[in-house]
Amino acid sequence: MIDLVVVGAGPAGLGAAIAAAEHGLQVCVVDEFVKPGGRLLGQLHEEPDGKWVNGIEEAQKLYSRAIELGVNILCGVSVYDLQKVDHGWCVYTTDEMIESKCLLLATGASETPIPIPGWTLPGVMSIGAAQVMGNVHRVKPGEKAIIIGVNVLSVAIARELQLCGVHVESILLPQPGILAGDAAQPEKMMESLLRLSHLAPSPLIRMGGKWVSPKLGARLFPKNGFKMWGIPIQLRKTALEIYGENQVEGVRIAEVSASGDVLPGTEKTVSADFVCIAGGLTPMSELASVAGCSFCYVPELGGHVPLHNEFMQTNLAGLYVAGNITGVESAKVARAQGKVAGLSVARVLKALTYGGNEKLHSAVEEVKETRKNALIQFQPGIEEARRELYGKFDETHKKTLISI
Amino acid sequence: MNEESTVVCRCEEITLKEIQGTIEKFNCSSREVKLRTRAGMGSCGGRTCRSTIDRLVEQMGGPVISNEVPLSYRPPVRPVSFGILGGAKE
Ligand SMILES: Cc1cc2nc3c(=O)[nH]c(=O)nc-3n(C[C@H](O)[C@H](O)[C@H](O)COP(=O)(O)OP(=O)(O)OC[C@H]3O[C@@H](n4cnc5c(N)ncnc54)[C@H](O)[C@@H]3O)c2cc1C
Repeated sequence: MIDLVVVGAGPAGLGAAIAAAEHGLQVCVVDEFVKPGGRLLGQLHEEPDGKWVNGIEEAQKLYSRAIELGVNILCGVSVYDLQKVDHGWCVYTTDEMIESKCLLLATGASETPIPIPGWTLPGVMSIGAAQVMGNVHRVKPGEKAIIIGVNVLSVAIARELQLCGVHVESILLPQPGILAGDAAQPEKMMESLLRLSHLAPSPLIRMGGKWVSPKLGARLFPKNGFKMWGIPIQLRKTALEIYGENQVEGVRIAEVSASGDVLPGTEKTVSADFVCIAGGLTPMSELASVAGCSFCYVPELGGHVPLHNEFMQTNLAGLYVAGNITGVESAKVARAQGKVAGLSVARVLKALTYGGNEKLHSAVEEVKETRKNALIQFQPGIEEARRELYGKFDETHKKTLISI
Repeated sequence: MNEESTVVCRCEEITLKEIQGTIEKFNCSSREVKLRTRAGMGSCGGRTCRSTIDRLVEQMGGPVISNEVPLSYRPPVRPVSFGILGGAKE
């Protein structure tokens, strides 16, 4: 029985593996993708100070450090089941069964789809798929893109597609109706975009300051949208249908009012050879659910998250979570959470030497600090939502867990 | 093509119309929608459409999304061969 199995080789999983291995623990990381790094691999952006962050390089650094410390990393291997056993966990993978004293789930987030008429045509993909094609596999998904769904993620990835040499024709809203819900509401989406203002070398910064409320913002929003990096962002246009004979040929669009109603007589078609759908992210909780964790529904964190505390412990002994499975946040936050989880495991397995508690507490502080300075905030109110979640955990489970 | 004929569950090819019809007729939960229509029961294990089904049920007057995960997850959470389930190496 080894000390720790980590599911997911993203920034959270690798960060945890490094922290645990630095304290002498025997660690195995399992990831179903062919390369380690998780969603970091797709990321490429410019920081406010003008420095470029290349996720592939960041992933390589984490990977090298983990290997140096003797961490065993298995790629192309999926975990399909888990079981609690005496003194630990049994992890069923497509390669072999592994037993460990502690188990960390760092499985990240998945994308929320928005079904749109015509979305099953070849050439329609999720925004994350386009990111993986372009930035990870270096395959250009097409020449001319239309992106449906206006949010932090779609705007960031549109920029990346542009850097791949794709012409992004426009980013617009999905059709109002029961399938799209809030994603079709100009006001709601304005709110989301305002949270990106610090990332944008664009009019949004000025507009963000000028507009007192997203409501006003949506109303004053120019009919033809505005541009970021030359890409039109159109909160007053909606995609009614993706059309094409055998593959995507274009999108039928129309104008919408500030409250999201289609304006009659404004329909037209716009050609494109691929379409991306961006419906947002949600924590990928399947394994935590199979394990039997308690859950909380926290919209600020992206949906259902396993109940956990600041030290990344769940309500089940020996089971930990870190990264986007605990709530959708930026890669740096995920990495910092991973470190906390790794130290937490080391603490419980009595591998934290002198000064261990201080180390753990300062890692917790580091998460908070990183969160405060995060470039991308996927939802508002993350800090408050987390405080509430941890409070709830303490209320119900403090006594049953090894105290820290 | 209109919204009604839009496919929601891609694995089992279940349309919005079929799901809405089922919710209306049986006034049912996500789980019952899944059992009656097979939406969410395909090879992806419902990873793609579960959130849409939950939202449709909620918006059509069904149970409000709570702390409980509405459509429970069952192992195996990935498609695996009988060989692997039986303990053989890939
Ligand atoms: C499409 C997309 C785009 C994003 N873009 C950005 C961005 O531009 N900037 C930013 O800061 N954040 C972005 N994020 C958020 C991003 O998820 C975090 O930044 C960060 O990568 C989260 O780290 P993580 O370690 O929690 O998960 P991830 O990096 O997602 O890693 C999780 C890993 O777990 C593996 N895994 C999951 N389930 C299993 C299983 N059953 N068996 C084996 N392996 C499994 C996956 O293969 C994956 O490699 C994006 C997220 C997504 C989904």
